[in-house]
Amino acid sequence: MKSRMNSENPIPIIPKGRPISWEDWLKGRRARRETGNRVAPEIIRRPSSSSDQRLRKLFNGERGLPFKKTEDL
Amino acid sequence: MTSAAIQRALADITAESDATLKHLKLASLVSSVFREHGVELVVVGGSAIEFYTEGAYISGDLDLCLISPARLDVRTRQEIMGRLGAKGGPRSWEVADQFVDILGEIETLAQTPLDELQAPYGMVRLVSPEDLLVERVLISVYPQRYEPAEFCARKLIAAALAGHVEVDWKEARRLAERPEYRILPVLEKLVDEVSHELGKPDPYHS
Repeated sequence: MKSRMNSENPIPIIPKGRPISWEDWLKGRRARRETGNRVAPEIIRRPSSSSDQRLRKLFNGERGLPFKKTEDL
Repeated sequence: MTSAAIQRALADITAESDATLKHLKLASLVSSVFREHGVELVVVGGSAIEFYTEGAYISGDLDLCLISPARLDVRTRQEIMGRLGAKGGPRSWEVADQFVDILGEIETLAQTPLDELQAPYGMVRLVSPEDLLVERVLISVYPQRYEPAEFCARKLIAAALAGHVEVDWKEARRLAERPEYRILPVLEKLVDEVSHELGKPDPYHS
């Protein structure tokens, strides 16, 4: 099935009513990150939560794995 | 999936160093194994936000809810998670150096369908972006202002306005007006702000 693109650039949209393919979802990663960065800080992971103890134990003092840099997406 | 296929998937997920891909691959594997037992799961909360926005929000736990059946007994949960080599339970497990939480029946008021993502180990269902958006808007102001939830809502609105995620704005408005949320003015204000910041038309004023 042909992907639906938005009108401004060839980024596949996450559609309603049918699945998005893995390849199309991957193609949109960088654009989604860049768009979000225009309206909120780049990294918005909560500094703490009720799961802190188990998370920091599993992730060497952090609350999860580091995020991939925007330019590497 | 055969035991060998599950082991290969677990090895891949354990080795994955990209936080978002690790979440998504694990959601795919867990969803597939539960589906083989007649159980449908949906990704909710921060993990769903991440898959829609690439927003650098998730931590180390993946939140899933039950679609059908609405309840699953503890023995069945433990047995299915056991196929994945999981530790712990009965609502939270450690799998492939990540936590998986199964939180009970999905809470959804949206009439829009769940979104679907065809991931490497099988289909992943995502709670609808309208549900997610209105929920985050509510959390951003009640019981008190909470900035992380506002950032999530802003990134989701931006993804929708930029054409990265299909959002039914009428449905989001309908949800925001419902007695369960009563948050429409805050939603409209946030959509207006983000629209201006991106230079896009405001779907509630066009």
